[in-house]
Amino acid sequence: MSLKERLYKVWRALVWTFDPADRAEAGKAITRNFWLHWFPPRMTKRSLSWSYSLWLGTISWVLFVILTVTGVVLMFLYIPSVERAYWTIKDLEYSVSWGWFLRNMHRWGAHMMVAAVFLHMMRVFYTGAYKNGVSHAARREINWTVGMILLVLTLLLSYTGYLLPWDQLAYWAITIGVKIAESVPILGPQIKFVMAGGTELGQPTLIRFYALHVMGLPLAVLILFSYHMWRIRKDEGLAAVEQFRLAKKRKDLQIDTSGEEPVYSTPWAVRRIVLVSLATLVWVMFLATFLDSPLEEPADPSWTPNPAKAPWYFLWLQELLAITTIRTPWFTINGGFVGGVVIPGLMGLAATIWAFLDKSPPEATGVWFHKSRTVQNIVFTLGVIFIVGLIIFAMYFRGPNWKVYWPWAWPEIPEII
Amino acid sequence: MSDVKKKRREVLKNIGRLVGYGVLGGVFAGFARSLWPNVLYEPPKRFRLGKPEDLADGVNFFPEQRLFVFKKGNEVWAISAICQHLGCTVNFVQLPEPKVLKVGNLEIKEEWEFHCPCHGSYYAGDGTIYAGPAPRGLPWYYLEIDPATGMLIVDTSKEVEKGWKFKLA
Ligand code: HEM
Ligand code: FES
Repeated sequence: MSLKERLYKVWRALVWTFDPADRAEAGKAITRNFWLHWFPPRMTKRSLSWSYSLWLGTISWVLFVILTVTGVVLMFLYIPSVERAYWTIKDLEYSVSWGWFLRNMHRWGAHMMVAAVFLHMMRVFYTGAYKNGVSHAARREINWTVGMILLVLTLLLSYTGYLLPWDQLAYWAITIGVKIAESVPILGPQIKFVMAGGTELGQPTLIRFYALHVMGLPLAVLILFSYHMWRIRKDEGLAAVEQFRLAKKRKDLQIDTSGEEPVYSTPWAVRRIVLVSLATLVWVMFLATFLDSPLEEPADPSWTPNPAKAPWYFLWLQELLAITTIRTPWFTINGGFVGGVVIPGLMGLAATIWAFLDKSPPEATGVWFHKSRTVQNIVFTLGVIFIVGLIIFAMYFRGPNWKVYWPWAWPEIPEII
Repeated sequence: MSDVKKKRREVLKNIGRLVGYGVLGGVFAGFARSLWPNVLYEPPKRFRLGKPEDLADGVNFFPEQRLFVFKKGNEVWAISAICQHLGCTVNFVQLPEPKVLKVGNLEIKEEWEFHCPCHGSYYAGDGTIYAGPAPRGLPWYYLEIDPATGMLIVDTSKEVEKGWKFKLA
């Protein structure tokens, strides 16, 4: 017996209690295995294919795990105090062994996670994966709604994490964030007061954001993610499976599912999960090796950098709130409220209820760009272009004093990430 | 079980539920309330600016309080440096030469302006907003002399009308 086979035997003895002889036993082998018990015994090859899900949900999850592990180590090195926070980050850069790598992995992992979660949402939309097909048990629109909350939590995690270095970038990002809350009519001042822990930014603000960043929000993501996965099981699999049900039920549609039949979860799903996890990890480590995280000067309330730009995923909001102040002879509404709360709020609400209103036929479930959903897909794409367009515009065409410049004609090139 | 007994059980059960939820709700309300601070360890809103004769003629910037204090002859006035859009610190911009700016039907004589770097709000020399997203102009604050020390004192919790100036004796 080779060493590899020997090691495999030891591994099996540790985690498996018996050798499967037939399909039923194979199923039990999966449900009785600690690492595998949350998978169904079998999955369709179609659900596991690269081209259906692009594995973006899994990538989001792996990024979350990377962020948790690097984050826990960072907690040992970071001090959430307005006097010392900045200098503990400087120490990570200059005096802690591998501190720069840890910080870079955490930082780029966070950027990647925002991107991955958003792309995952786009994938779900374009494949009509919040639809229920012909299943009687599935309620996939609930998972779509859970996903929307996860998207918001992901953004909040990035935002709260962004503040912790307490540098200029951090300080002005919280200032604007807190003021957006304050611009909400009637309740605004109270929301601001409890967010900041006072009437101005300071130690109470930093510790609040810190507690949310390291505990409150990750816990919320963990709980909701578990529910997200439980729902996929109770929804009888990914939406792609509906194509099999349809192929059996509606011969007239002539859906061809050959070559995509169910296979055992292990090794089929396990192998790909391991592959996706490793690839994600390598990619983040690659970024962390070659790209350094920015750190501006220590927070200075008396001086705002010019221009002060939010991180890229918030730039579209920054652009919106700079141009949406409403002026009438009788009253004025701050763009902070219109562009920072009302417009994104309505977009999120529209996207959420969309899944409940989509009346396209069951054949459009779990396939890319079904022709019955063309109009929907165009509307959704316009929404995405709106967001991405505003981001690009704000990133490259907004210079000092938030004036419009050609990217090559900027008076000076400020930090943008 | 008799009907009366059943009913009594029902009522008791409901009372039990009510008490249970009430206590739980109360506890959580208490937790939430604890996040609203009662005591603030913040610099006071009313503070000394120093002796009036120590102020420079023209503009003086107080970075910690984010405040501009202007002195001209025997007049002093204080204008906030906090942008009324979303709170960035505005930059003081000296104009090459004095000019008259028209805002609506106001005519403002000005020697300087305030520009916000964050989303491009532009304020005239007296704090009037004339371009950009800020919903209102920069506030002016109340000034007084402390009779005991002769120090000039500003109170940033007391806003005064634009154009209100303190006359030094
Ligand atoms: C923290 C963020 C998230 C994580 C970790 C996550 C994770 C996952 C995973 C692992 C899957 C399995 C399929 C795949 O890998 O693509 C999945 C499916 C799904 N996700 Fe997410 N997700 C997140 C956010 C979202 C968002 C923002 C939405 C949409 C608003 C969403 C809606 C869905 C739906 C409807 C499915 C079922 C898709 C199908 O049946 O094909 N999720 N999610
Ligand atoms: S904070 Fe000054 S323009 Fe937005």
